[in-house]
Amino acid sequence: MMITLDLLSLLQAGFIQRAFMISIIIAVLSSVLSIFIVLKKMSLIGDGLAHTAFGGLALGYYLNINALWTAAVTVILSSLGITKAMRSTKVAGDAAIAVFMQLGLAGGIVLISVSRGFGINLESLLFGSVLLVNFDQIIAALITSAITLGIIFLFFKEMVYVIFDETQARAAGIKTWFFDYLISVLAGIVVIVAIPIMGVLLISALLVLPALTSIQLSKSFRQTVILSPIIGLITVISGMFMSIIIDAAPGGTIVLAGLAILGTVFLLKRIQSFFEKSRKTSVN
Amino acid sequence: MEQVNPIVEIRDLSVRYPNGVLALEDINVDVNERDLIALIGPNGAGKSTLLKVILGLIKPTSGSVKLFGTQELSKNLKYVGYVPQSAQARDSNMPFSVYETIMLGRTPHAGLFHGFGAQDKQKVEEMLKLFGIYDLKDRKIGQLSGGQSQRVFLAKAVVGEPRLLLLDEPTSGVDTTSKSEFYNVIERLNKERGITVIISSHDIGVITKIVNRVLCINRTQFFCGENTDFSASIEIPKMYNHAVELMKHDDHP
Repeated sequence: MMITLDLLSLLQAGFIQRAFMISIIIAVLSSVLSIFIVLKKMSLIGDGLAHTAFGGLALGYYLNINALWTAAVTVILSSLGITKAMRSTKVAGDAAIAVFMQLGLAGGIVLISVSRGFGINLESLLFGSVLLVNFDQIIAALITSAITLGIIFLFFKEMVYVIFDETQARAAGIKTWFFDYLISVLAGIVVIVAIPIMGVLLISALLVLPALTSIQLSKSFRQTVILSPIIGLITVISGMFMSIIIDAAPGGTIVLAGLAILGTVFLLKRIQSFFEKSRKTSVN
Repeated sequence: MEQVNPIVEIRDLSVRYPNGVLALEDINVDVNERDLIALIGPNGAGKSTLLKVILGLIKPTSGSVKLFGTQELSKNLKYVGYVPQSAQARDSNMPFSVYETIMLGRTPHAGLFHGFGAQDKQKVEEMLKLFGIYDLKDRKIGQLSGGQSQRVFLAKAVVGEPRLLLLDEPTSGVDTTSKSEFYNVIERLNKERGITVIISSHDIGVITKIVNRVLCINRTQFFCGENTDFSASIEIPKMYNHAVELMKHDDHP
């Protein structure tokens, strides 16, 4: 009873409401994009970009200018750089991501070390915090999400063709190089929008888990597109509640919620196929 | 679009891969409207490479390729249907239904910033019936047999109403019954719909029964002409022997 009352009064607090609002925006945005990222086999790009975002934030703190702007510039440039390296035949794709990741993290930690004393909360930067969200960020998240989803909507069928099969898409006259860059840049935008809640270390999970889970359950692309945001929303909202109840960093609880859903889906599918098999044997 | 003859024009074509390997050398071919051409040659002869050059997926090192009268290949790709080698779902969990897979073939026709319309849906329905896969339309493509998968990808290539169809080893990994059904369909597409077809294959015996022309390559061109002038008993050994000689020559420069 006490816990329920505490939770209710907490939910009335402005900062919690803001955290929920931005989480819902992030959930929808990232789960739609995650479909393209997972099917294009670039699940690690979120990780790479998040680490460069860390470097970008640190640079902002060091220079004492708006850190989200420096992070945005760093992430967009990195997403272009990673894509260029991945498209080149000289560098393996995962190696390209690894190099950017190391540069971001190493550069970031050195800059943060030398600018200590500016009151940077490293923990909330790395793992997210419900305390960090202000109203301007919600508006910014809303606008960037609308633009990002609008771009996906405009190029939807071309993007779908590219993730279905790049060679066949090229043979159909689609400029696949453009969509390689576009998907990376959109991933970068999601990373920047999601930093305050998810933190840089756990952001990439939201760019993978909703799609991965919905693909397990879908028989068609249409179903995947409908299911992914639903799973994303359930993940983020349950993770936020958990974060408030046990007073843990939301990045961690959200990712654990997403993994729990994925695990449950895998388990249910196993049980289902087990029963189907035993039914077939009993019929025979 | 206007009538162009020949619809594919390949002149002195050579392709060298970035690793230095010469994949094709001195290829000269004209493909005319309504041709049904067998592209034959041993493994690694450059058959796939040649088809990819026509699609602009691989750039020639020297020589030229014209598609429907122009060297700007990308301009006319929407009139070309392509089924790549071992066309099937990348993995069994790919979340695409048969219907959605075939619909992808309408992408160049729907136009940028437009969704698929009633006409696109009608074409897909027509293909589902034509290829006898209507019952499979809601099936996930990763759960199809080799023969079913092959029909789906052919339907995806034909749904865009191509004037030229490029099929890369379409019958590999398919059982004999499905193979002969498949060749029947190809023959009908060529005769009834007037689609020009280039089909690369190993089944020399079967394929030369349906085609009107044969193009025989093994890095270089060995034979290009009417099916009636083609004799497998002469050309094929010639092609293989030459390959062996070249290999020996490469060993001892």
